Amino acid sequence: MKKYMETLRRSQSFYSYIGLALVFIIASVIVKEFLTFDNIITVLRQGSILLILSTGLTAVILTGNMDLSVGASSGLVGCICAQLLRAGLPIPLVFLIGLLAGALVGVFNGFLVGIVKLPSFVATYGTNWVVAGLSIIIMHGDIIYGLPKGFTWFGTGYVGPIPFIIIFALVIVIIAYILLQKTTLGRDIYAYGSNKDAALFSAVPIKKTLFSAFIMSGLTAAIAGMLMTARLNAADATMGDTYGLQTVAAVVVGGTSMLGGEGGITGTVIGAMLLTIIVNVMNLLGISSFAQPMVVGFVIVVMVLFDSYSRRKQNTVVRRKQPQTN
Amino acid sequence: MDNVILTTRAITKEFPGVKALDSVDFDLRSGEVHILVGENGAGKSTLSKVILGAYIPEGGEIYLGDEKVSFKSTRDALQRGIAAVYQEFTLIPYLNVAQNIFFNREPRNKYGLIDHKKMERDAKKLLESLNCDYINVKLPTKFLSVAEQQMVEIAKALSFNPRIMVFDEPTATLSEREVESLFRRIKKLKESGIGIIYVSHRMQEFKHIGDRITVLRDGKKIATVNIDEVNDMELVNMMVGRDISQVYHRSENHFTGEVLRTEKLSDKKGRVKEVDITLNKGEIVGIAGLVGAGRTELARLIFGIDPIGGGKLFIKGKEIKDNSPVKIVKEGVGMVCEDRKRMGLALNHSVMWNTVAVSLKSFFPKLLISHKKIVEIVTDYVKQLRVATPDIYRACKNLSGGNQQKVVLAKWLSANTDIMIFDEPTRGIDVGAKMEIYAMMDKLATEGKSILMISSELPEVIGMSDRIYIMNNGRIVGECKRGELSADQIGALMLGVGGDSCAS
Ligand SMILES: Nc1ncnc2c1ncn2[C@@H]1O[C@H](COP(=O)(O)OP(=O)(O)OP(=O)(O)O)[C@@H](O)[C@H]1O
Ligand SMILES: [Mg+2]
Repeated sequence: MKKYMETLRRSQSFYSYIGLALVFIIASVIVKEFLTFDNIITVLRQGSILLILSTGLTAVILTGNMDLSVGASSGLVGCICAQLLRAGLPIPLVFLIGLLAGALVGVFNGFLVGIVKLPSFVATYGTNWVVAGLSIIIMHGDIIYGLPKGFTWFGTGYVGPIPFIIIFALVIVIIAYILLQKTTLGRDIYAYGSNKDAALFSAVPIKKTLFSAFIMSGLTAAIAGMLMTARLNAADATMGDTYGLQTVAAVVVGGTSMLGGEGGITGTVIGAMLLTIIVNVMNLLGISSFAQPMVVGFVIVVMVLFDSYSRRKQNTVVRRKQPQTN
Repeated sequence: MDNVILTTRAITKEFPGVKALDSVDFDLRSGEVHILVGENGAGKSTLSKVILGAYIPEGGEIYLGDEKVSFKSTRDALQRGIAAVYQEFTLIPYLNVAQNIFFNREPRNKYGLIDHKKMERDAKKLLESLNCDYINVKLPTKFLSVAEQQMVEIAKALSFNPRIMVFDEPTATLSEREVESLFRRIKKLKESGIGIIYVSHRMQEFKHIGDRITVLRDGKKIATVNIDEVNDMELVNMMVGRDISQVYHRSENHFTGEVLRTEKLSDKKGRVKEVDITLNKGEIVGIAGLVGAGRTELARLIFGIDPIGGGKLFIKGKEIKDNSPVKIVKEGVGMVCEDRKRMGLALNHSVMWNTVAVSLKSFFPKLLISHKKIVEIVTDYVKQLRVATPDIYRACKNLSGGNQQKVVLAKWLSANTDIMIFDEPTRGIDVGAKMEIYAMMDKLATEGKSILMISSELPEVIGMSDRIYIMNNGRIVGECKRGELSADQIGALMLGVGGDSCAS
């Protein structure tokens, strides 16, 4: 038990755990509707899309890069799928094409960052606009309503008392966790993020690793986009936009270092849930939706502050500005 | 004792899980070179850093002359005239040499702006005093070789005009020529009354420049003695606490078949020129040369880091066209590179993950990895190489320099490649561990592995190699079998003077 606490305290996501626990306890105390089965399900359902998006982004941030295109990509895939469904294509084929589109966006980002060697921040911001533009072209400025039942079930259906979308998100999280923690690809991603040169000298296939991370991010964006469309039973070119930066926030609040090589899926789950719970609680309390973004922003800043404080504390033995020496 | 300029009393410093310094008394006189020795992790760097204000000790006192001081930062120590050349690099890679030397205290002109001309002139003068006028002061330091960077570090420390200087393994990254310039400079500093603390693992240097010597072991001071009152063996025994006899040992070995060959191999930058070398199964081949002779560049070329510019590379009879590390490792070649911080390790990752960084794929070909098995494997290597670390989950940045090097070695040992390129394999490693590494190399060769070894320590090259190539200015200028040439003859070839190669 003591050893377990020690590992927990040393983990990068320590403050995220505390943050989540605190918010959870405070929420249960001040809002009595919070800790009901129905509300917990609501929170999880509201959080699933954000969760799925952030798992893929975690891989990219672990490599020390950024993907600002996830929100727009999820929108694009949603639009593509809606159009294809309207054209009468079978649902499994539509899913497949959707995934492919997401993967292609990932490949495109990988190309810009890994081959053309643009800084990922700028490259994926560009992709974000390209993708958003594509969505508008595909939709001709329209909104599509009324999709086949077989498709919308993925967003609205239940398995027993639990919405399918929650189960889906859980499965994605588990897959991503295994990929990052239990496979050689995962270790390569961490190695790349921690020290790219050392990774090269350790025969890590660095291009392949980078592409894999961006493709993971593209795929989760695609899945999130399709589920979003299924849940709304509608598609519109801008529907993913709000998710873009929220996803980044979820990953970073979860303790994954923007410098790469540190953090992981567990933290991201916490980060995504934390952000979702805060919004949920504010809704329950009837706080005006105008005031909500401010509160969310405040929480993000505080969490990141704690995180960087803890990182600094781990390094206090060296009090100099120069790189650490031995 | 008179003219003591620095004293420490009962200094104690702890890190999580280790007592790095345990009540250490130490003193330094003006005009002396005081050598600090001890095994990897003995606490030499920690003691230096306490004196430099980089670490704040938990207990003990520091006196400058008779005055008690307590430094809160390296800045405090610098203001009192204590400067240092650290064991690892502190230069900012994107700034040029002059900017690095005068970082944060750039000379100003009359408008209050940075006076680049003066800064460059001063930097040049400093480098000249170290016989390093060939270093371009306008070049960002990331373009310099490790040895050149080290000379810049030294110039930077000198620029503070200190009263006390700490050198933490300054020669680990230098070749003979630079070492000589440095020693000449140190002697001059001594004459002018500066006190010097000098950390090193190289026994042959002690007699050369040292006056007194302090031995640390496991954070405790074992003894302080005058240099001419001890011999090498006594010193080693004090350091490791057990008897050690022979340094280099090579078993009789038969070489069967060629495993690596280059034909007029060149790179694209002209730093490796038409190199022909061969390596046989079970053979240790050394490459001697000065820093900048192109040895590391040759290694990088063979390992696939840099693209081939001309000529051919054969590994086990197969020509390698598009070389990349991934491909070369698949062919069974491993490389311990010279710069462990930049290229050898993911410093903020644990000993465990660094050790298996290469071998993971061979241990777990079926995608999924098992944590338990990794722990077993790594624990085994950590024991085998005696890496001093409280546990295998410790981040590599918290290890002492020599122990970091051992982790790099463990990484490649666990990858179990048939051909090993060792670029400065014993850099920063203590005598005891060095011998363990030599023994390991001998064992690898006996097992039929082949080793290409680059080293700036000539005794090591001569002691371990079955065959030696001598490189100068990108070319192979000589070759000899074990025992054929003396150190002096090889040294002359390295400098580009001396006769023909005594080709076999
Ligand atoms: N920042 C740190 N955090 C935790 N432990 C540290 C840190 N720095 C050093 N140590 C530990 O303190 C001990 C002494 O380290 P130190 O760097 O002083 O050794 P050293 O004598 O310089 O060895 P080397 O010859 O390998 O350079 C080692 O066990 C090392 O692991
Ligand atoms: Mg040291």
